[in-house]
Amino acid sequence: MLSAICNARPTHNTGVANMDDLLSEFLTETNENLDTVDAELVRFEKDPTDKAVLDNIFRLVHTVKGTCGFLGLPRLESVAHASENVLGKFRDGELKVSTQAVSLILKSIDAIKIILAELEANEAEPEGDDKELIDKLNEVASGKIVDAAPARAEEHKPETVKSEAKAPVAESKPAPQPETSGTFADGEKKIDPVLNRELLPGEVSMEELEAAFNAAPGPDEDKAPAPVAESPAEPVPAVAVTAVADDHSDEEEAAPSPPKAGKQAQNTDTAAKNSDTSIANQSVRVTVDLLEDLMTMVSELVLTRNQLMQIVRDQEDSKFKVPLQRLNLVTTELQEGVMKTRMQPIGNAWQKLPRIVRDLSHELGKKIELKMLGADTELDRQVLEMIKDPLTHMIRNSADHGLEQPKKRLAAGKPELGTIKLNAYHEGGHVIIQISDDGAGLNIERIKQKAIASGLATEADLEEMSDQQIGNFIFKAGFSTAETITSVSGRGVGMDVVRSNIEKIGGTVDVRTNPGKGSVFTVKIPLTLAIVSALVVESYGERFAIPQISVIELVRASDNSEHKIEELKSSPVLRLRDQLLPLVYLSDVLRMKRKSPAGLSANETPEMGAQTQRGKDDYVVVTQVGDFRFGIVVERVFDTEEIVVKPVAPILRHISVFSGNTILGDGSVIMILDPNGIANMYGNGAIDPDEAGAEAVSSEFAEEKTSLLIFKAGDDTPKAVPLSLIARLEELDVSCVESSNGRDVIQYRGQLMPLVRMSDTHQLRTEGRQQMLVFADETRTMGLAVDSIVDIVEDSLKIELTSDITGVAGTAVIAGRATEIIDVSHYLVAAFPDWFEESRKSRVKRPRSVLLIDDSPFFRNMLAPVLGTAGYKVTAVENADQALALREGGALFDVIVSDIQMPGMSGFELASMIKADQRWQKTPIVAISAHGTPEDFERGRSVGFSDYVVKMDRGALLRSLSETLSVYGEAV
Amino acid sequence: MKSCLVVDDSRVIRKVARQILEDLSFETFEAVDGQEALNICRTKMPDAILLDWNMPVMNGIDFLRHLRSEKGGMSPVVVFCTTENDIKHITEAIQAGANEYIMKPFDREIIETKFLEVGLV
Repeated sequence: MLSAICNARPTHNTGVANMDDLLSEFLTETNENLDTVDAELVRFEKDPTDKAVLDNIFRLVHTVKGTCGFLGLPRLESVAHASENVLGKFRDGELKVSTQAVSLILKSIDAIKIILAELEANEAEPEGDDKELIDKLNEVASGKIVDAAPARAEEHKPETVKSEAKAPVAESKPAPQPETSGTFADGEKKIDPVLNRELLPGEVSMEELEAAFNAAPGPDEDKAPAPVAESPAEPVPAVAVTAVADDHSDEEEAAPSPPKAGKQAQNTDTAAKNSDTSIANQSVRVTVDLLEDLMTMVSELVLTRNQLMQIVRDQEDSKFKVPLQRLNLVTTELQEGVMKTRMQPIGNAWQKLPRIVRDLSHELGKKIELKMLGADTELDRQVLEMIKDPLTHMIRNSADHGLEQPKKRLAAGKPELGTIKLNAYHEGGHVIIQISDDGAGLNIERIKQKAIASGLATEADLEEMSDQQIGNFIFKAGFSTAETITSVSGRGVGMDVVRSNIEKIGGTVDVRTNPGKGSVFTVKIPLTLAIVSALVVESYGERFAIPQISVIELVRASDNSEHKIEELKSSPVLRLRDQLLPLVYLSDVLRMKRKSPAGLSANETPEMGAQTQRGKDDYVVVTQVGDFRFGIVVERVFDTEEIVVKPVAPILRHISVFSGNTILGDGSVIMILDPNGIANMYGNGAIDPDEAGAEAVSSEFAEEKTSLLIFKAGDDTPKAVPLSLIARLEELDVSCVESSNGRDVIQYRGQLMPLVRMSDTHQLRTEGRQQMLVFADETRTMGLAVDSIVDIVEDSLKIELTSDITGVAGTAVIAGRATEIIDVSHYLVAAFPDWFEESRKSRVKRPRSVLLIDDSPFFRNMLAPVLGTAGYKVTAVENADQALALREGGALFDVIVSDIQMPGMSGFELASMIKADQRWQKTPIVAISAHGTPEDFERGRSVGFSDYVVKMDRGALLRSLSETLSVYGEAV
Repeated sequence: MKSCLVVDDSRVIRKVARQILEDLSFETFEAVDGQEALNICRTKMPDAILLDWNMPVMNGIDFLRHLRSEKGGMSPVVVFCTTENDIKHITEAIQAGANEYIMKPFDREIIETKFLEVGLV
């Protein structure tokens, strides 16, 4: 009744005309299947008893194998076959599911992917074979290496496999003639005469197959004993089955069901299925290109619509009003509809993650659970593509750096199983993706050290930063805190790439960390890139669009408003809620010159025009790029508008400040600014520490910031004094000022306090309230009369001109103005000639010599007399090199007082050098620093400082010196 | 014009089969699994069915058993078309009521030969 079985040769003559079409269909289908397999296998490994999952995997691999034959893809087919074989054994319970076996199957799936990629690129299978991998799979299938160590990944990369001919048999074995028997002497390899190829393990020859088919009982013969032992003949084929694919296992379980019940179940099943089918039939597959084109056309339509609207807006009673309104509505709906076609659930970008986490957990020896929430959150496929890699990297990072080893977790009272949670949701026009782990949190201390070591920040900077700000350093280039570099992450390229990739699509990334509890990375990305909301601004008569996502706020700045643009070191800044915001003039960024400024006389140059124009009435667009916040100064701000982003023409593409262009409603073409590009350009101006090289870093040290009080007294020149020296600011009625012994005094807190004037010519107020700075010691206070307190600023105290005027240490540029730095010690002595006498009591018999190293002339000038009056012989130098030069010259000191932050060699380094050399080895060193944290003290001690004193604390320094010297005693 | 239903979960294979069958002047329908195939059969019983074994929702063998138990379900010629080529599977297929059994990959020649043998062409 049944005739011969035929089989196609694995060739290309499937009788199908369009092979390319078929191949691309195959690639799409197979890639989809494989992504599912990855995820399913991870699930399967967790629960090897889940038969439904296993069936699913088996079927998918099987389909791949089955389809390969049609396209003549022998290499792909053999890999798929080998792994299907193992899966089949799992399914039939012949093989125990082991991690190694699953790993091997995952590897074979990787191999398949590599071949597919090659196929996609070249439309042909790559050379070589996957013999090693297949052999391993076969060994597993035959139960030989169930628990053997997992094979190394490299062995399975098809590229590294020794290149053999496509038909491996022909090369490795003497080619058998088709007419001879298909069995070899060694019995291992058989060539099927019909197939004309080597049989795969578990495959039977065509002859045998045919024989079996003939021998098998047909439906009409089923009463006869079946020749094949294990098949129980069942007369009634109808059985009740559920919708779950169950394969042939139902032989045992479902056989005796009465046909009627079966039918009933079937009917209800069918009803449910019918609706499914109709849905399936309603969907159409189209190429992405088609959708892209559609989107472009819709964008054009949106622009034309905007243009029309603009024209009609100006005409009161246009006939076009009503139809245009309809056009408007329809266009909006069309736009939304087309946007929807580009939307894909974010879960598509997550598909590979379970597999990655699974591999990581094995590699790192950690137990990791990946939770994914909001996988159906949709976003533009273009955006989706671009966040895939950053997300993957962040997951790797969380697994590698975030989660601790199981032992550590248990010790910390946490469950052994670490959790990484991915959560996606919509918020406004954005998609928020959070990647959180319950690991150790960021190691803030290590980040600090690393930030200092790589010159991204100074200790002083870090002191003022919150943990969150410090955490954000991980997004800086070349930043990796991993103590050991693993193969997983920690190669130093990472989070900075993540950040730049996310910023490329107009997104932001942020980290919050909770020591011991974990970290949360929050990625915020726009729903789509094609249409964005943008702020339209004007500079020099030209309009520009700034993407809304980077705009934080708008500030109007003019000379007579509370916000005024000021100059700091010749850079414009805006004081905004006690923060200095660096500014860039858009006209400077674009190097635009005013054409013919209205209201300017003809003989004024455009530059002058720009100068006079500035500060009059400007708008500051406060922009944030990463953790860098700055303001873009523009002249006018229009409105926010939904704009269609068009790529920048190739000729302009190298200009990083533009991210695209668009057409406005009135038909004009304007450029879209890229705040990222502007920030980079601006950063090169050496204000952003991000971009500044090593040189800028060393100057950073020189420009150690000090809080300064700016005041005026006597004349118009601003004067400054370090804020830390001042005890209080006071204001008293002038009538309270009394005269005693030819000096002004006031009763202050129950004591008489001398009131000193800036100079002999300086007059107190004649009436009203007199402002004064109060300087205090343990027992005494002194007031310095000033006319007005101007401001408190943070600036570098870099004395550029030394002064001959008594009471003035020198002149420095503070907040962009030449400012006199007050020599406080002068006034202290003026008030109390014996101010420093107190310390003199502790004066030792012979004058001790002190080497003072400080880069700041102000502090040298300040401390030298303090130490001098206390009875020390002071030698002051401005850097470590000079100090070491003194050592070379044979100088000896009783004690060394050194600053920590200095350009070139830091205090810490100097101390190490001193301690490493015999000559000054025993000389105690006291560190002075503007900032003193316990960590600094610790570090100071560890490198050999005897003591650590905060710079402004004069008393503490003197105490420290006398203590240090008494401890070291006469040893020196 | 005779009709043929192609039951396979792979789009590629359905496409290949459709081209061959249409070339042989068959009116061709497609189904992605046994359940869908069954639904189609209930509305219009085809003359021939090209049937895959491993499919989601309902596999080929279960479909066949259901089909043969239904009214008019004995009439279509069912050609099993799969990579499952061991004796156990073949026996099972025949017992479930398969008329023919061909192995993947197939080509025009094979289908034509088979259909000739069962008197469809």
